[in-house]
Amino acid sequence: MLTNTKDIEQVMKVVGTSPVRPDGVPKVTGQAQYGADYSLPGMLWAKVLRSPHAHARILSVDTSKAAALPGVKGIILGSDFPDHPFDYVGPERVAQNYWHMTRNIMAREKALFEGHAIAAVAATTLAIAAEAVSLIEVKYEVLQHCIDVEDAMKPDAPLLFEDMITRGVEPAPSKPSNISKRLEFSVGDIAAGFASADEVVEMSFKTAAVHQGYIEPHSCLARYGADGQCELWSASQGHFVVRAYTAKLVGMEIGNLLVHPAEIGGGFGGKTVVYVEPMAVLLSRKTGHPVKIMMSREDVFKSTGPTSGSSMTVKIGVKKDGTIVAAEGLFKFQAGAFPGSPVMNATMCAFAPYIIPNVKSVGFDVVSNRPKSAAYRAPGSPISAFAVESVLDILAKKIGMDPLKLRLKNAVKAGSPTAWGPKHSHDGYAETIQALLDHPQYNKPLGKNQGRGVASGFWFNGGGESTASVHINEDGTVVIATGSMDVGGSRASMALMAAETLGVPYESVRSTVADTASIGYNHVTGGSRVTYATGIAVVEACNKVIEDLRLRASLMWDTDIKNVVWSDGYAKPVDKSVGNFEPLSLKAIAGKRAVTGGPIGYEASTNAGGQAPGFSTQFVDVEVDPETGAVKILQFVAAQDVGRAIHRDYCAGQIVGGVVQGIGWALNEEYIYDSKGRLSNAGFLDYRIPVASDLPMIEAVLVEVPNPSHPFGVKGVGEANIVPPMAAIANAIENAIGRRMTELPMSPPRVLAAIDAG
Amino acid sequence: MQADIAATPVKAVKVTFTAGFSRRYTDSIREFEVQAKNIRGVIRAMNELFPGLGETLEEETSIAIDGVIHEVDYTQPVKPGSEVFFIPRIEGG
Repeated sequence: MLTNTKDIEQVMKVVGTSPVRPDGVPKVTGQAQYGADYSLPGMLWAKVLRSPHAHARILSVDTSKAAALPGVKGIILGSDFPDHPFDYVGPERVAQNYWHMTRNIMAREKALFEGHAIAAVAATTLAIAAEAVSLIEVKYEVLQHCIDVEDAMKPDAPLLFEDMITRGVEPAPSKPSNISKRLEFSVGDIAAGFASADEVVEMSFKTAAVHQGYIEPHSCLARYGADGQCELWSASQGHFVVRAYTAKLVGMEIGNLLVHPAEIGGGFGGKTVVYVEPMAVLLSRKTGHPVKIMMSREDVFKSTGPTSGSSMTVKIGVKKDGTIVAAEGLFKFQAGAFPGSPVMNATMCAFAPYIIPNVKSVGFDVVSNRPKSAAYRAPGSPISAFAVESVLDILAKKIGMDPLKLRLKNAVKAGSPTAWGPKHSHDGYAETIQALLDHPQYNKPLGKNQGRGVASGFWFNGGGESTASVHINEDGTVVIATGSMDVGGSRASMALMAAETLGVPYESVRSTVADTASIGYNHVTGGSRVTYATGIAVVEACNKVIEDLRLRASLMWDTDIKNVVWSDGYAKPVDKSVGNFEPLSLKAIAGKRAVTGGPIGYEASTNAGGQAPGFSTQFVDVEVDPETGAVKILQFVAAQDVGRAIHRDYCAGQIVGGVVQGIGWALNEEYIYDSKGRLSNAGFLDYRIPVASDLPMIEAVLVEVPNPSHPFGVKGVGEANIVPPMAAIANAIENAIGRRMTELPMSPPRVLAAIDAG
Repeated sequence: MQADIAATPVKAVKVTFTAGFSRRYTDSIREFEVQAKNIRGVIRAMNELFPGLGETLEEETSIAIDGVIHEVDYTQPVKPGSEVFFIPRIEGG
């Protein structure tokens, strides 16, 4: 792991080290409790009946035989949930429409995709619940379906919603369609820009829907009390958001629902929404028993959100010297059965790394008969980057310029414009390119059928609402609590920042994740926001504690607080004039807590702004087998500006993880549907994610250009790393065999077909 | 277009919307100048020009103040001459 550090003036003692994570031992010894590990006395098991059809009107549901089965305690249908008005609520990119959301949890008028939940049964055993599900009789009117985004956009496509009028088009269309929304960002004069170019490349691309591939299926346990108080144990990326969605969907007050954060076995964006939680709560309310629901792997693939597949066209013009003068992109995204693909992100991120005076970026959000898309690591950005970074590679070759140098020539920096309006306010991108240009392997000669490709990526990173508390125990050890689920090592990073701020050893800080009744609101662990925003809350709470510790020391020394400083974990006199006092440790002050004001503890909340974006630049060497079309990854180097690495190994781990998921996205992963719209590969044997033997050691290069808005310079590290791999690998394949791959995945049959096409 | 709502007039704050947002909410006008000392003042000024817009801005957007992105927070200060850009709020994975 190389490090490229710029302008780091602070000298850290704890931040930037790589201690063992607080949750490490329980996880590797099997003691950690995930969503499926919770049980309660009298608990029922629930099973969900799912639609076998991609698109069908539900004519009737007869549950009488199932209800009569001994051991069955309760059955729910979509109509058991309160309905909601049709209205888009909240930020445009992630606007929620609860009319849609309740129908995604459980179908009402129509089943809109294979796997769409129709009913759920709670019974005394899982076997009885499964048998009961088989006894439910559903009469369907099977309808024509559409899977591909281009098919779904055709005028004669079967409509999922007969009254859907495209938003963002004026005047509004007179006829309904599957196009939920059109959006556009533009700046400059596109026609004049292209007219001034020396070289223009326009090309179309397709990408497949891919799943986040988290190892832990969705599962939860709900207990609804006779007093209307409900507790929920759930593995998610945000138990406060689970609480909000679930309460809304079952029609209860947020204050009556307490959500416990179970450990999470991977999320990558896919666990920022709810699926089973509202069903479990409703079944528990109906039966008076605790109810547990666990999805199978097949359930996960068929009924939870992958990220979108897409159809895209990108056109870019450059001068001979490499200056990009114009760029245009058309991005059509599968939303799944309900609106809400990440196409807005895709249009915003597509050209974000580059200074381009004339840009137009148009997106379409399109519904089709597949599970509703959900967030997946830098949602949308990897998809549009596949097209943009591929076209840039072609242009670099046309003008005879090194592809990294082409990117460096046009790289944004603080003050550069964006297509969506505000100027960039941070550096960091050029530094990632330079890190690879300086890498000793970048110019290493390649062998036969081998190729090297580069690509870059952008992600916004996030801020937002977080809360943290810090308490000093009687013996001077420290407890910190946040409401941010620990998906990627945040317990460790929070403990490191607390230890650094307080000046105490990392080992003396216990870092926990509190339930929704024990800490203030925290938004989801997603968007690469937690180390930034929750970290700010932790540091602010620590600073409040330090002020209190100084006050208590001043009481013990009979002096004014201004005569006490906090340094290296001790209260010390500001100078000798204050008195000849020995420094007071946390333990010493905690021992006097009762007589100096009682327990020592503070909470801090923030709606953190000032987040800085992340950039990643990567190169990959591949070898293509001309006989089979198989692509072997020989070497992968990924540089990313992380601002400041709080835990170095976990930052590197995030980068390696993003690259590995990108390799799967590039080479193998896809949803395969049969002619009836049924998913053919709903399991890890047929949906092939990368395994260790597929991969070389991946080298993470941590570039550190600190963000001045964070106490330690954090920018966020979880997402930008998955943006470049698909294009980098496509570019490497082209370099190896002279064939431009324009469709993902670049699986062996597809690569072989490209070779055979000549 | 200008809205004068501050008690002490100072150099105006430039407020900008994306093209799509302005088409929907501000009669396709993308740029405004308002007198304000913080984001609360900016939102109040825009709400006076377009009643109801304030709630939309609070619920649907993030802001970039001189390029630095923030969540919408009333207390966030804006300096005379600042550029305030309302952009779609982003959620990640």
